[in-house]
Amino acid sequence: MNKKTWPIPLLLGCITLFGLLAALLGTGIWYWLAWAALTLPLAVIIRKTFFQKT
Amino acid sequence: MSTLKSIKKWFWWHRWTSLICTLFLLMLCLTGLPLIFGDEIDGWLNPTHYEQLPKDTPAANLDLMIAQAKARYPGQLLSSVFVDDDEPQVLVFMAPTLKPDDKLLHSLQFDQRTGKLLKDNPPFDQQPKTFIGFMLSLHADLFLDLPGELLLGLMGVLFVISILSGIVLYGPFMKKLDFGTVRSDRAKRLKWLDLHNLLGIATAIWLLVVGATGVMNELSTPLFGLWQITDVKAMLDKYHGQPVKDQQQLSSLQNALKTAQQALPGMTVTSLVYPGNAFGSPFHYLLWAKGNTPLTSQLFSPVLVDAKSGQLTAVVKMPVYLRALELSRPLHFGNYGGTPLKLLWALFDLVAIVVLISGVYLWIVRRKFYEEYFKRIEAEATA
Repeated sequence: MNKKTWPIPLLLGCITLFGLLAALLGTGIWYWLAWAALTLPLAVIIRKTFFQKT
Repeated sequence: MSTLKSIKKWFWWHRWTSLICTLFLLMLCLTGLPLIFGDEIDGWLNPTHYEQLPKDTPAANLDLMIAQAKARYPGQLLSSVFVDDDEPQVLVFMAPTLKPDDKLLHSLQFDQRTGKLLKDNPPFDQQPKTFIGFMLSLHADLFLDLPGELLLGLMGVLFVISILSGIVLYGPFMKKLDFGTVRSDRAKRLKWLDLHNLLGIATAIWLLVVGATGVMNELSTPLFGLWQITDVKAMLDKYHGQPVKDQQQLSSLQNALKTAQQALPGMTVTSLVYPGNAFGSPFHYLLWAKGNTPLTSQLFSPVLVDAKSGQLTAVVKMPVYLRALELSRPLHFGNYGGTPLKLLWALFDLVAIVVLISGVYLWIVRRKFYEEYFKRIEAEATA
């Protein structure tokens, strides 16, 4: 198994989970953290899909 | 070769669970998109114009609204009252009978602060379906009630299995590739495979959470049914044989509200169910109160108030499975973190649509492709 396969997906998964829970458990700053956390996987998708270095 | 055998097994699961649920999931993603903004769209298509009053205007007495409703429909029964905590409205539900499927159930809308009647709506069955109502029926049960809910719940289970098997397959597929590689210079199917993998793995947790909580929501009818024939029945058994109260002899609704609020300080009562309603108690007002923090505002506590004496009977404890159901709602709807969260929900939903469609495309071009792929793995393994 390639050691480089899982770190990024795992990180994205943890950040997504954090974002989903942050807005459920807190308000104020936690909303902002949730929005930022959930933007990250989408930003990664956009970057890798449209701005791939060739 | 055991690795290849195991990959093939996971692949079988991924292919078949996905194929069976894909059309349903596409429908769910498309109808779910406007539902994320359902409240906004409904408010925009059917606006209510409220009187401009100072923010701290106290709420009017519910009994006054009830009296107006009864005067308009003297031959009908009161079914329940909804006290909105979002808009300053109170909805009073009435019908000729309290049967759960009474086709003449209708609502009267009052201003919460003045107690004035705003709108006397025709029965729900005779109203044209709103855009959001149509989308919701399609999304929640395909217009088929419980069978539709269970069918879509089953499709949700298949979807969850397909995500899990997809995560397992991500490893072997990405063995030789860096994260996020999209091979756009080679065959079209390679590019779509890479995109399917990238989009799928980057949104996997969101897909799993929304999929699993969607299944949970589809089970709400059986779960509430279970509660009614166990805990609720046990609680009401001691009243067995007592005559059900005539609605003319009930104690004050406003008083029931006050009693519940005193019993649960810091909580907000949003709904009051009349005795005799199939979703309540024959002998009590059933009041639903929710907390005031982000988390506890999702959790409702039922309060029973004696419909004759107006005394507090009990604050009912909700079973774990109904608590889980309550927490599944926000995590499915995405309505718990302001407009930005709703926008993010919509974007994730769009990504999910791409994952679904690319999955179907990969299945259509499958033959050549996977045979090559499996051969390669085999060759690598034996080399």
